Amino acid sequence: MAVMTNVAEGPPSSSGAPNNPTISGQNITKSWGTHAVLTNCSFQVSGGVTGLLGSNGAGKTTLFGMILGLHEPNSGELRVFGLDPRTAGPKIRARIGYSPEHHLLPPDLRAHDLVRHIGEIHGLSRRDATTRASDALWQVGLGEERFRALGTMSTGQRQRVKLAQALVHDPALILLDEPTDGLDPLQREKMLSLIRRIGTEFGIDVVLSSHLLEEVEQICDSVVILANGTVAASGGLGELRGDTYGVVAVLDRDVELVGQLLSQAGWSTNIAGNRLSIAINQNLDQGLDALRDAIAEVGAPLRSLQPERRSLEDIFLGSAS
Amino acid sequence: MSDAQILDRGYRRYEGPRGQVWAAMRTLIRFSFERALGMRRGFWAKVIPALIIVIAFLPAVVFIGIASLLPDAFAEAVPTYGDYYGFIVSALVLYTAFLAPELLCNDRRTRLLGLYLASPLNRLTYLASKALTAVLALSIITIGPLLMLLLAYSLQGQGPGNVVDYLTLLGRIFLAGAAITAIYTSLAFAVASFTDRMAVAAASIIMALLGSQVLTSVLVNGADWPVWMRLFSLVDLPLDIVERLYFGSNFGEPSISNWAYLVAIVAWSGVLSALVIRRYQRLDVTR
Repeated sequence: MAVMTNVAEGPPSSSGAPNNPTISGQNITKSWGTHAVLTNCSFQVSGGVTGLLGSNGAGKTTLFGMILGLHEPNSGELRVFGLDPRTAGPKIRARIGYSPEHHLLPPDLRAHDLVRHIGEIHGLSRRDATTRASDALWQVGLGEERFRALGTMSTGQRQRVKLAQALVHDPALILLDEPTDGLDPLQREKMLSLIRRIGTEFGIDVVLSSHLLEEVEQICDSVVILANGTVAASGGLGELRGDTYGVVAVLDRDVELVGQLLSQAGWSTNIAGNRLSIAINQNLDQGLDALRDAIAEVGAPLRSLQPERRSLEDIFLGSAS
Repeated sequence: MSDAQILDRGYRRYEGPRGQVWAAMRTLIRFSFERALGMRRGFWAKVIPALIIVIAFLPAVVFIGIASLLPDAFAEAVPTYGDYYGFIVSALVLYTAFLAPELLCNDRRTRLLGLYLASPLNRLTYLASKALTAVLALSIITIGPLLMLLLAYSLQGQGPGNVVDYLTLLGRIFLAGAAITAIYTSLAFAVASFTDRMAVAAASIIMALLGSQVLTSVLVNGADWPVWMRLFSLVDLPLDIVERLYFGSNFGEPSISNWAYLVAIVAWSGVLSALVIRRYQRLDVTR
């Protein structure tokens, strides 16, 4: 007879509280033979959607493997839900949904059968797994296609099936390995908005690995950047990008003229093509007002006006170098 | 009729009970068993297992027919329970060669293994589930036909004479099935753990089984090597043990003791199983 536990007896669900992180790593080192993949990596992952960013071969998939308890770090301490994956692997994995990078799945298996099976493997009863498999496939937009064989599905549909199987048992945390790999721009947008929904509306913490800066920037609350085998930066996106440090305007013409006017008023300006930016110290409104007034005085056609902050690309390039 | 549509079903949390590792193992055993036998799959996936099972049961059907039509000639015309495996040894080899790659190679090739190991299962519980599936599936042909014979003979009044004989015969049937299953499954799993290609694995299993038989036969009979070399013939070893179980110490290879047979079967199963476990412990399943 199967041993059943109530969900309340399982590992703690994700907290999202910064002082009680879902995943924390302290000085994690991992090598495959003589090849060092990760060296002294320390990081924390809290609630919401977290991006694990790094170029190909940076160690993202290896880190996922360690979170799942499938590989052991050579040294350092890793905690998932406060537990050690080396000793509490099955307990941790019971509350994690995992979507691997590859698109290979049994071609003759129907999407619903696969998702239901994975639900049962994660401890759901047959009846619950059947119901939740249908629900999960509806959630990812494959409700009408759920009885199709996986071999007949497109890459985008298989990506969504992988997401559904990661979601079916209502995990506390979902690990998505390159979830937009192989998708066209439209499918990518849909997938990203779905992941964002999972991390916000569904209340499930998500860690997604990617080497695409813009998609991490688009949907993630926080980020862990891996570069050269180390954690180059980690934390909330807002925190990493820092305070607004300027205001930037894009003009159709008269950029130089507006720049001169602002320089005469004592602003530090920078012109690049039709893009004019001014540095601000503390007061964003003052900078916005000054730029707006100068543009109005010259009568330059304005395309956009917005605060300027560090982009994730700036952070990534800065930390990687 | 209303034009109303449900556009957003919302997300429902799950707060019901969750099974632990054994529930996951049970699910995996059922799923693997069904798929290995072609259940819920297309026509061609059912053909090979169905054909082999028919081949394995065919002699039993013939014997039951003979026993039914010629009851007086029963003792002379119908082989005994212990002789049955001699009739189905080719079906056993084929079934093993089909089953193990279906159970192991497929999961690695389709990377379903990565999804399994991201669940409460670990490498050992995964392999244990697969081994139990193989035992169940092989039991269909190692134990099934003999149980059918026992039932049919009993209904015809040609079964064992008393309860003790019944229990003894049942014990022999199950032990013989276990001996064959242990050797064939561990060898087939060991071979299947080295390749993701099912056809290569199936061919290699057949070659390993038959190759060990031919080689030991040549060495023992042709080159006068010691008789105990027969313990290295993976086809003959379980069949010799079956003969010992049914007919006593003068059968099988008389110069080899019961203990030697027991040690051989445990050693082969242990070494081959350890090889499978080692292979799986080294697999990187997240790629």
